[in-house]
Amino acid sequence: MTATMPPLATPDRTNRLAATRHGNRMVAQYWDDLFTARERGQQIVWYNGGALNPIFQAAGLAWCHGEAFAARLAAQQLEGPAQLAGAEYGYNAELCSYSRTHLGCAVLTVQGDEGAQTGVVGAHDQAELAARLPAPDFFVNNYAGCSTGQQWDEISYRVFDKEVPIFNISHPFLWGNKADAGYLQGEEWESASRYVRDQLVDLIAWLEERSGNKFDWDLLRESMTYIKRAAELRREGLELCKAKPAPATFWDWISAIAPINFLPGNQELVDYFASVRDEIQHRIDHGITGIENERYRLYFDGIMNWNKLGFLSRKFAEHGVAVMAGRYITNAFWQEPQLIDTDDPLLGMAQHYLLCPTNHGTRTLDYLTLRDCEEYDVDGIVFHSTRTCRAFTGPQRLLARSAQNNLGIPSIFFEGDVADASFYKEEILESRLAAMLEAIDVKRAQAS
Amino acid sequence: MDRPDTADAADPLAALRSIARDPRSYVQRWREEHPDRKVLGVLPMNFPRELAHAAGVLPVIVPDDQQPVTEGRAFLPEFYCGFTRNLADQAATGRFDLYDGLFVADHCIQLLGATDIVRELEPRAPVFLGQLISSLSDRGAGAKIAEMVATLRAEVEAFAGTEVTDAALAASIRAFNRDRSLIRRLFDARAAGDCAFGPVELQDIVASAQVMDPDEHHALLSAVVAGRAPRTRDDRIRVHLSGHLCHAPRRELLEVIEEAGAVVVDDDLWTGRRYLQTDLDESLPPMTAVAEWYAGRNVALPCPTRVQHDVDWDQWLLAAAERSGAEAVVHLMPKFCEPHMLYYPELRRALEAAGIPQLLIETEHEGIPLESFRTRLEALIERSHRNRPAYA
Ligand code: SF4
Ligand code: SF4
Repeated sequence: MTATMPPLATPDRTNRLAATRHGNRMVAQYWDDLFTARERGQQIVWYNGGALNPIFQAAGLAWCHGEAFAARLAAQQLEGPAQLAGAEYGYNAELCSYSRTHLGCAVLTVQGDEGAQTGVVGAHDQAELAARLPAPDFFVNNYAGCSTGQQWDEISYRVFDKEVPIFNISHPFLWGNKADAGYLQGEEWESASRYVRDQLVDLIAWLEERSGNKFDWDLLRESMTYIKRAAELRREGLELCKAKPAPATFWDWISAIAPINFLPGNQELVDYFASVRDEIQHRIDHGITGIENERYRLYFDGIMNWNKLGFLSRKFAEHGVAVMAGRYITNAFWQEPQLIDTDDPLLGMAQHYLLCPTNHGTRTLDYLTLRDCEEYDVDGIVFHSTRTCRAFTGPQRLLARSAQNNLGIPSIFFEGDVADASFYKEEILESRLAAMLEAIDVKRAQAS
Repeated sequence: MDRPDTADAADPLAALRSIARDPRSYVQRWREEHPDRKVLGVLPMNFPRELAHAAGVLPVIVPDDQQPVTEGRAFLPEFYCGFTRNLADQAATGRFDLYDGLFVADHCIQLLGATDIVRELEPRAPVFLGQLISSLSDRGAGAKIAEMVATLRAEVEAFAGTEVTDAALAASIRAFNRDRSLIRRLFDARAAGDCAFGPVELQDIVASAQVMDPDEHHALLSAVVAGRAPRTRDDRIRVHLSGHLCHAPRRELLEVIEEAGAVVVDDDLWTGRRYLQTDLDESLPPMTAVAEWYAGRNVALPCPTRVQHDVDWDQWLLAAAERSGAEAVVHLMPKFCEPHMLYYPELRRALEAAGIPQLLIETEHEGIPLESFRTRLEALIERSHRNRPAYA
């Protein structure tokens, strides 16, 4: 639920990228378009999990990513009415807050005008926003890794009284049973990739049949060509951020998630990521840094705490901490563009859906985390113990142990949530962060 | 160990009870009696134990051993369900040494989290995830299930160091079917009005079946059944217990329900009907029977960890209440169990529409607020009484 943010007494020491502001405008435009899609005669699909938007684009549909909508509401502190509607419907406060927010939106959408009768001051407009989300014509579930993600859409299907057709894509968990299993390799990876690819072919046939729209394969190739290029530019930008001091931080990349996650593949998307990359290069060339006076470099593990995005970025900067990278940024969102064959993109798309950062056994996550901690040369790890996201939090203790044992890197945990501010504990983060930074100082002093 | 020993024969129910409550001693005894055979831990709720049994292995559905979570705290967050935290704790404190390996066919993300802890902390024990497809409406789900059942068989063979023949598998299927159907007889009798067995006794019977060799369990249970006469239920409020996935609710909870003036007439608990509702079809080739068993389980008793568009737990629950004459439903939801949390509003909605009073109890792994439960239960019973016709 919403909580008022305490005023910050200290000056803002962040230096956020200017280019991401344009991304925010593109995203706002996307949502406005979605809210009016029905009026333009478009059919609408609600989906969760991996970025199926290029397929929907080529199928002539408007798309709404459930998690993205929940995240947007939370980032705007507008999640309250949807969560209240969800709670009234019976969803427990310990349930994944993305799903609970989105299911609350579903309840409000089904209830129509009744959604405004919540009795909460100021709730009316906010509820309106959630209910403005056009009702779906289709559900598609594309959740890898987290079982909650798959069940959530099945429940949405029931909230809408089974009147909206649903398609599910199943993703084998990349557990790593066999000795040959590893990141992007082994029989498990190969067979899972083929299996998900085949389901994408089925999905396309299903959408064609249900929507009556002919699937535009050329448009899919074209949009995937743009997305691949945008993803390459994003990777180049991430690579540049390894510089010392960091020219941009994790928080800048968080601001750039929405465009790569669900905006249409087109020239504007490529231009956007080119501008992000170029701004970072420009900063390196001119000695401009992502935060004032970088003293520490940390890795951030966990899904985003959307209610607290701006607050957290300022908080870390205040302590001289450049948050460099994190599982949610570095190992998600078209992060391996070389896998995409733009002439025949389905396999590479399937592989990205499988590469969801909650779809790996801890062994692979361990490999990725240690690799990134070394490459970004970090001093410690901050684990966002995301209260209602068991998928992200399950492996965190093992990852912390491994980072300590293998790299000598300390960690702290703080509690928060994806879309429920009530779980955030400011004192815990503040005291643990200060203690870890002090310990890093001591270690440095001893080494010098 | 095909027949009970003399002490067991004297009080077979006590023998089952003690195994349900102390599975470790049973497994140790089995090991002593079968020194060259292996014990495989399997996680709930869908692993086909027949495959492992046919390889001469003792497949034990790893129970929550109801110990407080201590060192396991360092490995899984406190907002994981009690069962998975207990598993992590078993691994962290060496209590997982009971098993030579761990096989998992389910995909609940919390279960996988705990499985990864076991894999990390018990490197001596092979851990295998053979994920049975959870979305049963998918086109091609049947083929995927058959493929995974074959994989599980091959992996079990590798684990046991022996081949699973079709004949051995067919024999194991018969053994488990026989045991399950005997237990089911008791549950069906209860739903039909017999209250010879109380809810704690039935839970002990099922929990011991989840650990034991099926022939041995069947022998003991047969003796129990032979010694117990049917008893017609009285006019206490008839309650259906719902949920509690993956592990047993605390016995004290079940006791309070009956103390408060209700009688449990049916359930869909994991340590209840959910475990025993589905048999394997003995007329089919055994591998096909295993695959069809898995595909059919969710229809026979829907599970919120599966997704299947035309199968509804809520509708099943209404039909079950109709069959047993249940007048109220108590939802037992383990704290943090997301599959149950997601489905609960659908159950609530359906029961409300049918006018069946209900009560949601969130169970904690450690500590039960028994008195508050008793008060809420009494209120439920009172409400249910008001639903009864004035002159029945
Ligand atoms: S629990 Fe986490 S990974 Fe799972 S659906 Fe929710 S946000 Fe996604
Ligand atoms: S289904 Fe529920 S009880 Fe079972 S492991 Fe998952 S969260 Fe725990």
